[in-house]
Amino acid sequence: MSQEISRRDFLKLGGLGAVATMVLTGCGTAARYVRRTPYTKMPEYTFTGQSTYFATTCRECPAACGLIVRTFQGRAIKVEGNPNHPVNAGKTCARGQATLHGLYNPDRIQGPFKRSARGSEQITPLDWNAAIQVVAQALRETSPQGIAFLLGMAPDHLFDLVSDLARALGAPAPIRFGALGMFEARATLRKATQNVLGQDGLPWFDLGAANVVFSFGANFLETWLSPVAYTRLFSQMRRGERNEKRGYFVQFEPRMSQTASKADEWIPLRPGTEGWVAQALGKLIADARGLQVAAFSGVNVEEVAQNSGIEVAELQRLADLLMKARRALVIPGGAALAHTNGLENAEAILTLNALLDAPITLSPLSPFGDAYHQPASLQEMAALIERMRRGEVQALFIHGANPVFELPAALGFAEALQKVPLVISFATFPDETALQADYVFPDHHGLESWGYQRLATGSAFPTLSSSQPVVVPFYNTQATADVLLAAAAQIGGAVAQALPYTDEVAYIQARLSPLLEQKNGFFGAPEINTFFAYFQQYGGWWKTTEETVKPSWENAFNRRLQVKAAEFAGEGEFHLLPFISPVLGEAGANKPWLQEVPDPTTTVMWNSWIEINPQTAEELGLQDDDVVRVVSDQGSFEVSVYRYPAIRPDVVAIVFGQGHTAYGRYAQGRGVNPGQILKPVTNAAGDLAFAATRVRLEKTGKKRAISRLESILGVYGEH
Amino acid sequence: MKALYTSLKHPLARGGGIVLVLVVITLFAAFVRQTQASPEQPILFPHNLHVGLGIQCLYCHPGAARGPNAGLPAQAKCWGCHQQIAKKTPELEKLAQYVQNNEPIPWVPVAIVPDFVKFNHRPHVAAGLNCETCHGDMTKVKIAQNPQVMNMGWCLNCHREKAKDDPVKLQKLIDCSTCHY
Repeated sequence: MSQEISRRDFLKLGGLGAVATMVLTGCGTAARYVRRTPYTKMPEYTFTGQSTYFATTCRECPAACGLIVRTFQGRAIKVEGNPNHPVNAGKTCARGQATLHGLYNPDRIQGPFKRSARGSEQITPLDWNAAIQVVAQALRETSPQGIAFLLGMAPDHLFDLVSDLARALGAPAPIRFGALGMFEARATLRKATQNVLGQDGLPWFDLGAANVVFSFGANFLETWLSPVAYTRLFSQMRRGERNEKRGYFVQFEPRMSQTASKADEWIPLRPGTEGWVAQALGKLIADARGLQVAAFSGVNVEEVAQNSGIEVAELQRLADLLMKARRALVIPGGAALAHTNGLENAEAILTLNALLDAPITLSPLSPFGDAYHQPASLQEMAALIERMRRGEVQALFIHGANPVFELPAALGFAEALQKVPLVISFATFPDETALQADYVFPDHHGLESWGYQRLATGSAFPTLSSSQPVVVPFYNTQATADVLLAAAAQIGGAVAQALPYTDEVAYIQARLSPLLEQKNGFFGAPEINTFFAYFQQYGGWWKTTEETVKPSWENAFNRRLQVKAAEFAGEGEFHLLPFISPVLGEAGANKPWLQEVPDPTTTVMWNSWIEINPQTAEELGLQDDDVVRVVSDQGSFEVSVYRYPAIRPDVVAIVFGQGHTAYGRYAQGRGVNPGQILKPVTNAAGDLAFAATRVRLEKTGKKRAISRLESILGVYGEH
Repeated sequence: MKALYTSLKHPLARGGGIVLVLVVITLFAAFVRQTQASPEQPILFPHNLHVGLGIQCLYCHPGAARGPNAGLPAQAKCWGCHQQIAKKTPELEKLAQYVQNNEPIPWVPVAIVPDFVKFNHRPHVAAGLNCETCHGDMTKVKIAQNPQVMNMGWCLNCHREKAKDDPVKLQKLIDCSTCHY
């Protein structure tokens, strides 16, 4: 029989049989049997197959947006904005969404340990009792003046607790620092407000009430102060009021940022001339209205036009635009303030608003009634570094800040750290600063933590945002507040008496109890447990009435103002403009979701790049992806070229946020950190003049392709 | 193919062919049976004993009354009683081992439907059905078994029967998108 069945027939029959077997078994139940892995202990409030939602606060930046986190079977699944929250009204930014990648980051520090030597990966794991012992001993045996606390930017419950602890010990108050504050030039904005208005606090720019907005370098759609809140107001401004055209937006800055790309007009003025341009606009408006404004009186418009590169007719047109507006608003921020004359620039820009009836108020005080807690300026950080260098700091406690990476290298934080005998880090991630610490006692991730947070700005309502754990902590981490409270109890005496709290939650409840007396909150409760339950449930507590402070402009009209020329450090022919990545922010580099989000203007992913005007690139003979060495008088690094048409030919721009040497597998060894070559010059308010460094470009002859989403085929005609 | 048909006309080949077909069918049936049987459970859990003691179904599977999935109990629930009870059998030793190691018990659910069926327990419990209507009498079953083939015909038979006096309800209960969406 076999010789009568051809090979072909045999294969046909065989194939038929195989298909029949697959169909019959594949569609059967056997293919669907799965092994389930149920909980060993079911988390509270959890039912199989049902999601549980928790309200908490985003910790990716200090803006304090409210989040609703969907959890499923005890795991955080999805982050969305809290629709009731006064800051973000249900929205989040990309960094808020990616907070999950921090929670599940495989490189998180999983338990307390001691390092064999600074910078070494060799560690000895400790248990938490030993860790608390180390902290207690350090606090007890160091002279109070030798203790320094360095915290992140958020004015949260931990800041209050550390302030209480420092007061009880007699130690200096904690210092708060973050790269965002540095790039926002917060101290400059505050100081300018004080000088122009005579009032303290951060201004609140109500874009929604204006129909013409001029922004000098404020990248409020990216990272500036409270980007989600400002994005909401921006869209309100763009919708326009009833029967009115949409609002008009002009951005002044040397490089087109993401915010500028959303503007009707982008005006690339010469770096450092922002204050003069504001003065010229002010003079044109004052003259047209027959007003006398001291700050603008001595200005020569022709001279400003020459210096800034904006023609007189153009200045006149812009001034007319402001004058014809129903309500105009001029915002100072970011790169405009990051020059040696940054404070005067900010004052000139802010004073311009006095002529315009601009919708500016001062951000409300926190519900506790305490004033704005400003993060440290670069000058204050320099003072700390000086103390460290002189050996006056014996024990340094760092939480939520990564100064080794974020501060300009020339400031010498890393060297000064070597002079500190004991460095204890409470970092969640193995960042550059934790790598230089003797002990690392990891805090929970933000989604595993209790807390509250004040708003520096971001809403007209006095608000306290709440945090609660949405998942059980994954690793052997412990809340820093609990560690400090336990250490305080061990020290005993006056310190233990000043902090008589059993744990973090007890401390938070004690701090919240004055709010029970307040009548105008959107909820109230007769006792703290009920109040705390609502506080967690709604994502915070806020008043139902706006409590912004009205500015007084009288002073502004009579105040004289001399804006000096900006000074630039270094010999190079290009201005270096570092800008904080709109996607990564200061600390997003360890989150793959953020790394693979294309940069909004260049679409580059997973890397650093330097933006050069195509015309300049042609003069220098540079193509895309050519590696250049960027040299300032502080140092140099190599980076690939991105030809960016929307930048002044005399400016090169580089992203801040990459270039980590630690911080986990997704962050390290990727791109460069422009902080390495910045000259640490400050403006009069003590903020870093980060746009004041000049650089030179050297060709290396190498080529290194950077990954990007866009196609550049045919853009420059060579394909 | 033609050669095959011609060769089959020979009486011997025909007889041999029939035998061959029977052998193939038998082997195939055995194979199918093998693949359709549920995998072994990690612990031979005696449902009859627990239900016989008067423990309610919803005590261990509370999700059935609240949502789509009945759920499998966390071992903390087992241990709630069993830490008080002598570990007389090897099966209880296994449970103790799982608890000691804090490992989840890899149960194998037997009453399952394909992914494209969005089954929800809650409306069935709300309609007054008892667990045993679909899952059988657990006082008589040791290790969990599925007493019936849970296919679409079985679902629709019951839906048609329950709603036969109410055309509106019937339409809802036999609509495709009630279960497939």
